[in-house]
Amino acid sequence: MDLCLFAEFSFQSLSQYVLNGLLMGALFALIALGYTLVYGIIELVNFAHGDVFMLGCVLTYFLCMFAPEYPTSLIFIPLLLLIVPICCSLLNITINYLVYRPLRKAPRLVPLVSALGVSFVLINVGQMAIGTSPKSIQAQLLPSETNQSSANRETENATRSNEASEELTRPRRSWLTWADILLIGTVIPAMTGLALLVKFTKIGKAMRATAQNPIAARLMGINVEFVIALTFALGGIFAGLAAVVFTLKITTIDYLMGYKNGLYAFTAAVVGGVGSIPGAVLGGILIGLIYSLGAVYIGGAWVDACIFGTLIILLVFRPSGILGTRVREKV
Amino acid sequence: MYRLLKLLAIVGICLPSVGCPKNSGSNKIVIISSLPRTGSAKGQTDTMVNGIKMAIEEYGGKIGDFEIVYLDKDDAEASSGQWTASAETANAKEAAENPDVMVYIGPYNSGAAAVSMPILNEAGIVMISPAATATGLTKKNPNNPDEPRIYRPTGKINFCRVVPTDDVQGPIAARFVKEELKKTKVYVLNDNERYGEGVANEFEAEARKLGLQVLGSDKINVSQQEFGALMEKINNVKDGPPEVIYFGGTTQSKGGQIAKDMLKKIPNCIMIGPDGCYENAFIESVGKVEAGKLFVTFGGKDPSALEGAGKEFVQRYKQKYNTEPEAYAVYGYEAAKVALEAIKKVNKKDRDAIRQAVLGTKDFSAGAIGKWSFTEEGDTTQQIFTVSQVKDGKFVPYKEINGAK
Amino acid sequence: MKYFSASSVVAVLVFGLLFLVPNLPLGQLGIPSNLVTELLILTILALGLNVIIGYTGLLHLGIAGVYGIGTVCTGILVTEAFPFQQSFVITLIISTVVTALISMAITAPVLRLRGDYFALVTLGFCEIVVTVLKEFEHITGGKKTLQNLRPPLFPEFLSSLEQSLDLVGKWRIFPIFYYICLGLLLLIFLGLRNLEKSRIGRGFVAIREDELAASAMGLNPAKLKLMAIGIGSGIVGLAGCLFAVHSTNTTEPQVSFTFNVSVIILASVILGGMGSRTGMLVGVLLLLGYDKIGTRLLSDVLSQLPDKPYFKLSSWRYMIFGLVLILMMRFRPYGIIPEKRN
Repeated sequence: MDLCLFAEFSFQSLSQYVLNGLLMGALFALIALGYTLVYGIIELVNFAHGDVFMLGCVLTYFLCMFAPEYPTSLIFIPLLLLIVPICCSLLNITINYLVYRPLRKAPRLVPLVSALGVSFVLINVGQMAIGTSPKSIQAQLLPSETNQSSANRETENATRSNEASEELTRPRRSWLTWADILLIGTVIPAMTGLALLVKFTKIGKAMRATAQNPIAARLMGINVEFVIALTFALGGIFAGLAAVVFTLKITTIDYLMGYKNGLYAFTAAVVGGVGSIPGAVLGGILIGLIYSLGAVYIGGAWVDACIFGTLIILLVFRPSGILGTRVREKV
Repeated sequence: MYRLLKLLAIVGICLPSVGCPKNSGSNKIVIISSLPRTGSAKGQTDTMVNGIKMAIEEYGGKIGDFEIVYLDKDDAEASSGQWTASAETANAKEAAENPDVMVYIGPYNSGAAAVSMPILNEAGIVMISPAATATGLTKKNPNNPDEPRIYRPTGKINFCRVVPTDDVQGPIAARFVKEELKKTKVYVLNDNERYGEGVANEFEAEARKLGLQVLGSDKINVSQQEFGALMEKINNVKDGPPEVIYFGGTTQSKGGQIAKDMLKKIPNCIMIGPDGCYENAFIESVGKVEAGKLFVTFGGKDPSALEGAGKEFVQRYKQKYNTEPEAYAVYGYEAAKVALEAIKKVNKKDRDAIRQAVLGTKDFSAGAIGKWSFTEEGDTTQQIFTVSQVKDGKFVPYKEINGAK
Repeated sequence: MKYFSASSVVAVLVFGLLFLVPNLPLGQLGIPSNLVTELLILTILALGLNVIIGYTGLLHLGIAGVYGIGTVCTGILVTEAFPFQQSFVITLIISTVVTALISMAITAPVLRLRGDYFALVTLGFCEIVVTVLKEFEHITGGKKTLQNLRPPLFPEFLSSLEQSLDLVGKWRIFPIFYYICLGLLLLIFLGLRNLEKSRIGRGFVAIREDELAASAMGLNPAKLKLMAIGIGSGIVGLAGCLFAVHSTNTTEPQVSFTFNVSVIILASVILGGMGSRTGMLVGVLLLLGYDKIGTRLLSDVLSQLPDKPYFKLSSWRYMIFGLVLILMMRFRPYGIIPEKRN
């Protein structure tokens, strides 16, 4: 934007921003899957999905209060990755059953407005649970980053005291933190698992059939309501996984985070083509890069505007997204 | 057409009864306070309200023939967790319309003061703020030449405060960096709000004057959820990394998150914030932190450092509410005392007379913080600041600095 | 007795009551009168949204952003920081027109999108508008807001009229400004009634019911939609202007003009019944009246209870609006007083 920024430009810092963008993008992709799956099946923009993610973060925050001390806490993480997704998927199924299911035959905008309502209700629940100010995770679950890097720095200081002293006073750049490794370790198996599920199992076939044509699927003997419930459950699981990883990576949560992250994720889903699973991943990564690089090179205030600008431009010029196929309006 | 006629008929019936005069013959004097009573500043405002109530009780709720009624209004909304312009406007207008209201204690936030000042100025009600510190509310401000004139549509002064201002607070933090912390490289951040930007600019100017090396300054985007990328950039800044980051902003504008990300990315750095971060919510959002990493300045003395009448006040407060008073309790008490003494002196139910009496307060020692006066602009001559550090999950006073030049 | 449909009786009653409001002992009831005025302004805002959502069936989720454009436009025209310094009447007209034009310009390219995509795009616009209002602070005041908006009522050549009516400085104070707002509300209400019966209004409804059939009948959906956006946004801009003058500043964009505000207004429109003016009036006054005034009154009653967030009514704000949306959609999708449908 201005000259001083270019003066500071270095490949090293750029690579760090790119890496951070990719990681955030993977996280957005995980949430985006929830949107894309549901939209693929019942053509509903499930506005409440972001807030399910938020409640997952809130649950993680509360569970972390019972976390044991550091080394034992490593066992606690898989437990979190189990409990939170289950709770989120149960919540999602309940919402589907209570709110969306009675509206299946209503005009398309009716469930969308209900989803806005659900989103508001969930926001209020989150606000009741943690209050309005941001909360921080107190427990230390993952190995500490700062101690490690400062220890490294001291040893290096001792060995190479004279040369490039300025470079040494900087904390050693940790390319991947433990939270990032956890993120990668969660996202890749989750995505692969979903892809395999959709592609190779019978239930996956039923999902694809329902997405293509619910009536025909029903005539073929597929229990469409069950498929829809399963889709919501899967969306909830991914929201829960994302919530645990996000909470452990960012370590601060607040009750309005669902709206924003939900919109980023939805944008990611649209960018990749709603209904397409690889599209969600691609879109997530793109949005993650805008999120990370935009904050540095354009200015933090404009990040949201950039992401929503992307959303608008895409919806106007290529509503089917990068990887999506064009669907003709049904009459 | 028929319907229209009917409507017009109703209009005709209603109009004559419009605008019946208000009667204000009662002998009630209402003191209204407008503070964020929900959300993250609640802990501070609770003690302020306790202080105000104690001051009123000292007079038995009565001055002369007038019964003193205290109204505790909230200028925050639970759904936003902090003050909102609409709530503050509603409180100010409510005060303006109620003929019994003579004194307005508050607001807590400088931004809120900017909203309510013009309204109350037109109504002629005196405002006494126990916490708003932005310079431009009372003094000429180089960043905005229209201040403070735009807050005073009638030209009269109606705003005063018992806390010192940001043109002292910012420089004191700079002096603290140089003299106490003995650091030289600083980086300045602000939240781009009236209060935060103002105090950050004051800090930066003084830091340059003192010969500290200002590596750069940035405005943060408050709606961002984390500042890892920003901290990465600050860490890589030319001649960096900084030893101290000054954040001009509040807990609500992500002070806690800034501190947290700083500790994560630049662990050797120290952060200093202004009184907007002096809230428990700040510590809650930072999480665990070792002592000597986070400092907060605020205008006034810590209750433990008070002497004489102040010490006695602290004891009475402890007896009554069974907790240690927080720093702001004293200032709530002080603000109420100024108002009550002025009412006592005037002994009339007259907004303008009370306003003049409050602003004319000189050598005031009836309160808890010792002797002070109001300047012509409505600022206190008391210039003491306390620097507190975050230690074991709470604020612990670190050093008291007198800002008087 | 064709003229006395239930909804027109209700409308007459509501307006009658609103006329009487300033004569109530508001102060003794503990109702700040400025909130009553604000309620009227929000009702105008909701009527504007109703043109877009109710008549034409476009789910616009960024109405708060449009409201913000109107407010800031007024701020720019009135504040002493800029050389315009127009009077209230002129500002009102310019704000209305400018807001309508800006809104039409940014919505025109996306009108052909399907309903749910349109909703998201307008939501995106709202976020961008808020960012622009927040960041271009030399023009819009940003978070520091444009202060001290105290325009004279009439332009200079009519100032003697203002003096002779003894309105100088007084017209912005409670009863008079309240009646100005009420008058505008009544004007818009009657205007919309005529619009509904006109060719354009029937065109809007035709598009809502079936766009394809409407275009087969020779209507131009794009043109009609744009018109609905223009008319609706104009009314919203007018509400924004009243809001700016009422609160004498432009308030912080990140609080007043966000998505949440859009949904709150949407909830009130839906409670009353999309497309039905009278229903809307009742819905908005009930829901927003509860939100703005009811919570304030009841909170005094509830203050005896222990000091916990869940005993504070204002903590349940989102829950109430959310439940209204869910329950209305489930049980009465056409509102408490549905529009007559043939």
